[in-house]
Amino acid sequence: MYYLYLIQSPKGRAGFGIAKNPQSRNRDYVAHCGDIVNFPYLYGGTIAHIKKIENVIKEQYIDNIWHIEDRPLEWLNNNISVDQLKDYVDTLIEERHYRVKLIAKNYNFTQDVFNDLLT
Amino acid sequence: MTFRFQYQDVIRRPNPMVTINPLARGSNKVVDLQDRVDTLSKSSAWNKQMKMWQALGKKVDLSRMPKVGMFELGKIEIDEDIQRVLDDKHCADKIANLRVFDPALLQTVQCILTSNGKLISIDGQHTSSTIAGLIAAGMVEGVKDWRTFKFPVQYIETDNLAFARRAFSILNGKGKKKQSAYQQLRNAVFIVRIDNDISDDEDVQLEKLVSIAEKNECFPIEAFSNLSKYPGTFSNIATFKSCNDEEVELATSWHNKYFHYESMHVSTFFIFRDICRAFKSAKLPITDKLKEELAGLVQCLFGDLGQYQESVTRAHRLWTTKRYGYQANWDDDAYACALLQLYKHFGGEERVAPNIIDRFDDIIDFFDEDILSLAA
Repeated sequence: MYYLYLIQSPKGRAGFGIAKNPQSRNRDYVAHCGDIVNFPYLYGGTIAHIKKIENVIKEQYIDNIWHIEDRPLEWLNNNISVDQLKDYVDTLIEERHYRVKLIAKNYNFTQDVFNDLLT
Repeated sequence: MTFRFQYQDVIRRPNPMVTINPLARGSNKVVDLQDRVDTLSKSSAWNKQMKMWQALGKKVDLSRMPKVGMFELGKIEIDEDIQRVLDDKHCADKIANLRVFDPALLQTVQCILTSNGKLISIDGQHTSSTIAGLIAAGMVEGVKDWRTFKFPVQYIETDNLAFARRAFSILNGKGKKKQSAYQQLRNAVFIVRIDNDISDDEDVQLEKLVSIAEKNECFPIEAFSNLSKYPGTFSNIATFKSCNDEEVELATSWHNKYFHYESMHVSTFFIFRDICRAFKSAKLPITDKLKEELAGLVQCLFGDLGQYQESVTRAHRLWTTKRYGYQANWDDDAYACALLQLYKHFGGEERVAPNIIDRFDDIIDFFDEDILSLAA
């Protein structure tokens, strides 16, 4: 199982990423931020399909990827909300038949019983 | 075991490339140099460079500009420590080739002119040798002696042979922006489509391949182009050109039928080129059922051929390490081989050419467990 998470910065910027261990990844964000950061939406699925969705997001949002100087980040420009991004991911999964499911909402590492979060 | 990866249709949306395909027609746009100067003045890379010039107080030294003159071919010397050994086949088959030779296409010879009057060639020896050879062979009417025949030379006055050596490197690639494979393809296509010139067989064949791809909504584009986000685009021109009509038809029609929502992965050409050739040798048909089941397998296990490539290169790496004790270089033949091995592994019943799947025996054992377990 591999994971795609959608994230929202404390100021509201939408972002995304993939991880084998979402709990550890969330802990990293929290350590950098100095505050609890939720993954508003956490998807799980096969590694190939999760990676594919991440690549499609990067490709389709190429004009809306937030850059620091010339470096593209896995964050989007302010005009895209995390719910818009979620709608896009859901449409992709449905239309292209990816084996990926939304498994948790508002996940953060303190919710250590991972199975309880399964929706 | 029944093959269980059934292809599921994906909604087809109009492909913007059908209307914006740059190869469909020329832009009919001619601009003056001001347009390019404007582009540079807005370029951050250019402005950064100009700031460095300003900081160092550097100015263009006009006395160093090259000059152009007509010089007798007999005066040109070739320093063999600077220029390469003459490639006689290049002179015969490329420059003097009967089908393409045109004096209007000859380029000036590049030389340095030393203070003692020596004219040393730093680039263009094949051109000067070819024209001298043509005169010597009696192919230039009214000219008997190539030594006294005057030819345009671009030269720089210097006694510095290190400069000549550096200049040779620059003129022959290092520091020169080469035409990309896509630009060469575009030229060939436009020669046929815009200029209606079908005198060059290679141009005609390339245009034909592009037409086959376009019919299937697949479009060659420049590498790293902004168009790469559109479905059906591909930028590996060399592999595309290595395929024949039938192979391009097979690869692009398969892509258009099953993965019309994606840009086209280069492995599509490798896979269908290899399948086409191997099945032909084995006298086996490439059935519609096989094509659809391969699409189902790719869709269900990997999502697309891009992800398949990630998995198969990893499997190949592990396979070579286990087999040979070291990590061998990637081999493009593994694309088709592993795909057909997976097809048989998961219960595919269509006949496949055995010489493809024998190539990397059991490479599929090295695919991610996550993927192999999907059949369960």
